[in-house]
Amino acid sequence: MPTNEVEQIKESLKSKIPKAADVVFKELHTKEKYIESFYIKTISDETVLHDKLLKPFFEQHHPEEFRNYLESIPQIKSFESEEKAIEELLNGTAVLFYQDSVFLFDSKVDRNNSVLDTSVETTIQGPQSGFSESLPTNLGLIRKRYPETFLNVDITKVGKISKTEVMILHDTRFADPDTLKRIKDFLSSLDLQMFQTGEQLLDSIKKSNRAMIPLMLVTERPDRVAVNLATGKVILLVSGSPFAVVLPTVMKDFMSSMADIYQTYWVSRFLQLLRYIGFIISVCLPGLYVATTSYNPEIYRVQLALSIAGSRNAVPYPSFIEVLLMLFMMELLTEASIRLPKAIGPTATTVGGLILGQAATEAGLVSNIMIIIVSFVAISNFVVPINAFSFSLRIVKYFILALATLFGLVGVVIGFFIFVAYLVKLDSFGEPFLTLVQSKPQPHKE
Amino acid sequence: MKTNGGWKIYSLFLMIAFLVGGCGFKDIDKRLFAVSIGVDLAKDSSKKYLVSLKFAIPSASKEQPNDFYIVSQEADSMSEAVRILKTKVDKEIDFSHAKVIIISEEVAKSRGNAGMYYWFNRRRDIQAITWVAVGKPNAKDILKVKPKSEQVPSNSLFLALGKDGSETPYVIPTYLFDFKYRLIERGIDPILPIIEAKKDYFEINTAGLFNESKMIIHLAPEETKILNFLKSKEEKSSIKVERGKTVIVIDSQMVKAKYKIHTPKGSPPYIKVNVSVKGKLEEASRRVANSQLYQYEKAAEKTLNQEFKNVLKKMQRAGVDPMGFGLRYRSRHFNHDDWEEWKKIYPNITFKVHTKVQITDTGLIE
Repeated sequence: MPTNEVEQIKESLKSKIPKAADVVFKELHTKEKYIESFYIKTISDETVLHDKLLKPFFEQHHPEEFRNYLESIPQIKSFESEEKAIEELLNGTAVLFYQDSVFLFDSKVDRNNSVLDTSVETTIQGPQSGFSESLPTNLGLIRKRYPETFLNVDITKVGKISKTEVMILHDTRFADPDTLKRIKDFLSSLDLQMFQTGEQLLDSIKKSNRAMIPLMLVTERPDRVAVNLATGKVILLVSGSPFAVVLPTVMKDFMSSMADIYQTYWVSRFLQLLRYIGFIISVCLPGLYVATTSYNPEIYRVQLALSIAGSRNAVPYPSFIEVLLMLFMMELLTEASIRLPKAIGPTATTVGGLILGQAATEAGLVSNIMIIIVSFVAISNFVVPINAFSFSLRIVKYFILALATLFGLVGVVIGFFIFVAYLVKLDSFGEPFLTLVQSKPQPHKE
Repeated sequence: MKTNGGWKIYSLFLMIAFLVGGCGFKDIDKRLFAVSIGVDLAKDSSKKYLVSLKFAIPSASKEQPNDFYIVSQEADSMSEAVRILKTKVDKEIDFSHAKVIIISEEVAKSRGNAGMYYWFNRRRDIQAITWVAVGKPNAKDILKVKPKSEQVPSNSLFLALGKDGSETPYVIPTYLFDFKYRLIERGIDPILPIIEAKKDYFEINTAGLFNESKMIIHLAPEETKILNFLKSKEEKSSIKVERGKTVIVIDSQMVKAKYKIHTPKGSPPYIKVNVSVKGKLEEASRRVANSQLYQYEKAAEKTLNQEFKNVLKKMQRAGVDPMGFGLRYRSRHFNHDDWEEWKKIYPNITFKVHTKVQITDTGLIE
């Protein structure tokens, strides 16, 4: 490369990168040689620069020797184009001008690479650590758990401004190529400005950008990712997010916890049954309460009917307003305890749950039975292991409650039926949402 | 629904939904639960019945038990009575927990009450699993009884008739659907338990037998037990047997009865009843050794044979058929006049009862 061209590149790079406080342009001199480096110090690792660049520069006296050194270390990439160089520069690469050539020196700093503890999907037994916020570390975590040559990793970028790196992982033996193609098309068709984490995709998956039920599983557990890879799922890792996205996701995945494989057979079957019962209760119970107290009290036993009637005696509002009031209170409580700092979280639950509930019955605003029902609904909602899904269920119960208010028991049945019909309609990258067994790739396909 | 009119359709649906939903919505605390219904003959009045409803008053606190009150109305028909009763109470009357219907003895013994009986079946909110019973001396007195052990009004009746509580062979509970079926069906007649009101408890150990539409006879406690054995409905009971001077009581664990109607050509028809009883010795006036049990079994068989025969004959003489022999006959014979035939056969049919008693042990270690 002629010298004046190098000068030209240097000048143009300098003019394109504005002079920010952390932009460094430095010249180093020895008797025999000199080098110019250009980098942004906040995203570059200066210790790497020091160890791999400055030290050898001053130790090796001969210019050719240093050039050979530069060309042989793995961090060095040769210059391709100006645009590419700028992009790399903004990601933490240092641009070196030495003699009559330009090098890109990979000095990206990898912050946030500490592995976090699981906080969302906790299990009693089994691995307790989750992903970190660094993409290479996360990939490393998965590779460690999945030492297979068939593990394929593709990289794309999502986000017009953020240009976030996204890794697509799959096992070539198990993953369905059609699904993989659909996922890649989906990623390339995304129209996002800022892409920060996989959860953002939950809405984008639908054409209308409005989804009620999540169709992808966002997990923080490397062990879940490894297990899912082996069943043929495709994993998305997003740079800067401690969550991985598992695709395609069906309802069975939302209802499974990693604890299932860390428990004995009957225990895990029992827990699964418990979850499905919890799922149905949290969706139907408020509706059932309204339907039975206001339309069909004959399905209670007489003792229960009388005790409900007795406890409702002081309540001035019809049952559905009572339920709405209490559910609303519970939603506020749940929402507040997420936002609160961990130290005062329990206080909020105590004040809200115990004192408010007690006071509400004392004041005759709601009946005793209602408190039981609301806490039952809340608790059974938390039984659903994947958070994103249990949030969706929180909304569905209002739909069934509305139908129950209008049509009684028939409304509950029809509401649940419509809900199931809606689930049947859903699919995640071609996989029906209520699938019980994941489809395997066709053998004759490539 | 991406058209502009989408919201119109939604709001129309919502409005229709509200219109439809307007009916039927009635909160549980705005309902008055009738727990039992009593029907008496009206006295000193031109009306026919005296209908009493026992309403449970739900109590707000757990400490005080649920109270009740009884409202009565004289009327010529049930629906008339209920319509007027509605004006005497503040809340909507709900029959969905009316689980006992008490008919006074006088009403049960009089004719022409079919309209009243079927009213219970016709009403949507009275459950088909309601028990029907005859009240003595009258229905309202039964409703007034408040046993001390009772937490929910009428619950002791529910427990006794439902056999959730005490299990005894002296009660033959009858459901409303069964009562109606037996009233209508040719070849099977209704049985109703008779409840007698004492000061603060009930006594249920007799049964009334209906013919077509009215009560003809009633069975004594022991006869009621035998009828229960025949129906194979209750197995836990005690059977008293005398052999010479020794009196023993068998605690039965299993009682099974089967019968078959034989109509041999050329000879008179007969009904063969096979009963097998299994139990153990519960009480004896003298020492009974294990080796003697066989003799007591034989004695028990003889006693039971006679008791079964007596009850069957009593029912035959009265012309009632609560066992459903007629129905069995009609189901096995396909003539057009099977019912007429049976009416000729039944008064003269003979019963052959064969009992097999097995006493497993004396209850003591020798």
